[in-house]
Amino acid sequence: MTAEQGAVFDLGYQPHEGPRLGRRGAILATLRDGLRRILGLRRKARKKIMPWLLFGIALLPVIAIVGLSFFTSTVLGEAGPENPFAGHPNIFTLTTSVFLIFTALAGPELLIPDRVEGVLSVYASRPMRISDYLGARAGALAVAAGGFLVLPQLVLYIGLASLHPDGWFSGLTANLSDIPKILLASLFYLLAYGAPAFLISMFAKRLGPAWGVYLAVMILSTAFAVAISEATAGIGRWAALAALSINPDIVMDWIFGQTTVREGISSAGFSPMWSVGVILGIAIVTWIVGLRRYRSLL
Amino acid sequence: MTAAAAGGLISTSRLGHAYGEIVALHHLDFEVPDGRIGLVGANGAGKSTLIKVLLGILSPTDGNATVLGHDVQRDPIGLRARVGYMPEESCLPLSQTAADFTVYAAELAGIPTKAARQRASDVLTLVGLHEERFRYLGEFSTGMKQRAMLAQAIVHDPELVFLDEPTAGLDPEGRAEMLELIARLGDFGINVLVSSHVLTDIESTCDWVVMLDGGRVLRTGPLSGITGSDTVDVELFGTHDVVIEHLQSRGATVEVRGKVLRISSEEDSFDMIRDVLAETGVGMRRLSQSARTLEDVFLAEGNVE
Repeated sequence: MTAEQGAVFDLGYQPHEGPRLGRRGAILATLRDGLRRILGLRRKARKKIMPWLLFGIALLPVIAIVGLSFFTSTVLGEAGPENPFAGHPNIFTLTTSVFLIFTALAGPELLIPDRVEGVLSVYASRPMRISDYLGARAGALAVAAGGFLVLPQLVLYIGLASLHPDGWFSGLTANLSDIPKILLASLFYLLAYGAPAFLISMFAKRLGPAWGVYLAVMILSTAFAVAISEATAGIGRWAALAALSINPDIVMDWIFGQTTVREGISSAGFSPMWSVGVILGIAIVTWIVGLRRYRSLL
Repeated sequence: MTAAAAGGLISTSRLGHAYGEIVALHHLDFEVPDGRIGLVGANGAGKSTLIKVLLGILSPTDGNATVLGHDVQRDPIGLRARVGYMPEESCLPLSQTAADFTVYAAELAGIPTKAARQRASDVLTLVGLHEERFRYLGEFSTGMKQRAMLAQAIVHDPELVFLDEPTAGLDPEGRAEMLELIARLGDFGINVLVSSHVLTDIESTCDWVVMLDGGRVLRTGPLSGITGSDTVDVELFGTHDVVIEHLQSRGATVEVRGKVLRISSEEDSFDMIRDVLAETGVGMRRLSQSARTLEDVFLAEGNVE
C-alpha cells in the first residue's frame, strides 16, 4: 500500500490515565444531570416546552410590575421604589401557583425514569451511596426550583432599585435586608412543595399519574384541612396544619413581617412555628422514607 | 494486571447472603485470578446475587469477600471506582442519546467531563455504535441496547467489569458479536467476570470458571482443568472383546459407548492402549483424549433442572 492510498489505523483501547474525581465527581454529575432533566436540556424538544414556559409565566408579572413602576415613576412621576405596585411577598403569592405545576413536573421527572428504566443499577455500580443519589437529585430540584422562586424576586429587586431617586446602587443597598428574607422564604417553599413531590415520585411508576396525585394532594389537602378545621372545634382544629400549600405562605408572611390572615391555620390559632415544624417534619420523613425505599430496590 | 499478584482478583471466605428466610448464597469459598472469569449456573443459582454482593450493593449476611483488594463491606465506594457493571436487565434511560448517557456514565465514575466525552466517543466506536451515537436509546434494537450497556460498563476504564447475562435476548449473530467484544476486553487489560447460564458462551470466552449450583460453589478452576479429562476414547476395527479383556487385566476401567471404548487408568492410558493393540493385533480407527463440555460437568455434578 502506498502512502497516497491512505491507511486505516485501529487505535484500539486507550486506558484513562487522567484524574478520577471519585464520589464528589459522581454527586456533581448526578446533580448536573438532574438539572438537565428538569429543564429538558439534551432531551427531545417536547421535554423543554413546559419548564421554560412556566419560567416565562413566572417572570411575566414581575416584568410587568417593574415596567409599570418605571412608567409611572419616570413618565407620570407618581409611584417610586418606596411605593411599588407589588412587593416581594406579593410576588411569592403570584409565583407559587406556577411553582406548584413546576414542582409537579420536576419531582417525578427526577426520580421515576431512573427507577422504571433500571438506571438505578448504574448508579449502584458507581462510587456513590443512595444518600448521595437522593441528595444530588434533591439538590437539582433545589437549584432549579430555587432559581424559579428567586429569579422573579431578583428581577423585582434590581428593577425597583434602578428607579431609586438616589441611583441604582443606593436602591440595591437600601433593600439589602430583603435578600436573606427572599432566600429563607424560597427555602421553605422549596421544602413544602418539593418534599411531597419526591415522596410521591418514590413510589409512582409513571409520570402522568404522579403529576395528578401530587396536584390532588397539594390542592385537596388544603381544601379538606381548611374545611375540617373550620367546621369542627377542639381537636378538629389540628387538621388545619395539613393544609400543605398554606403552610409556606404562613412562614413567608412571618419572615417578611406581614400579618396576612390565611385560611385555616391562622384562624385555628396556630403560630407560624407550627407551620415551620410541619414543613420540616414532612421533609425529614421524605428523606428517611426515600433511603429505606431505595435500599429495598437494589 | 496486578490483582493476581496481590492475592487474587476476587476472593471469598464463607460468603453468604440471604433474602430474609431464603438463603441465596451458602458459605462460598473461592479465589479467582486475573483474566476472563465465567460464572455459570442455572437460573436461580445465585449468580446475580453474588455479583451484587461483590459490587457492595448487597451486604453479605455471612463471611466476607474482597475484590481487587477492597473489602466489599468496608470499602464499597473505593471498589466501585475501579469496576464496571452491566446488569442483566436494561439500565438505559430511553430519553437520552447513547453519547449523552455514555458520557454521563463516565462522569458518574469520576472521569472529568472533557475526558468523559472523549472516552464515550472511543468506547461507542469500540462497541460498534459510533454511527448511532446521537440516536435516542429508546429507538435502539435489543442488540444495540446490549452494546450501549456494555459501553457504559467500560467507559471509565475499569480494572474489572461484571457482565450479568450479556447475551440475553440476542439473536445468534448478535450473540457472537457480543462474545467477541467480551473476549477483546481481556486484550485491553480489563478483567471480566461473565455470568451466564449458556455454558457455551462461557467456554468460548473465559479461561477460569466458577460453577454455582443452588447457591453453592460446585466447581472452580481453570476451564481446561474442568473440561479436561484423564480418560481416553479409542475406536477400533473389528471386535472389542479381546482388547477389553487385555485392558482390564492391566487394571484399566473400560466403558463401552457404541463403537467407542472410554478407558481410564492410573497408568498412562495412551501407552497401555498402544501395548494392548500391539499384543492383540487389532486395528485402530481413532484415539483421542475424552473431551468434556461444561454442560457434561454440570450434568454430571450439578443438580440441574
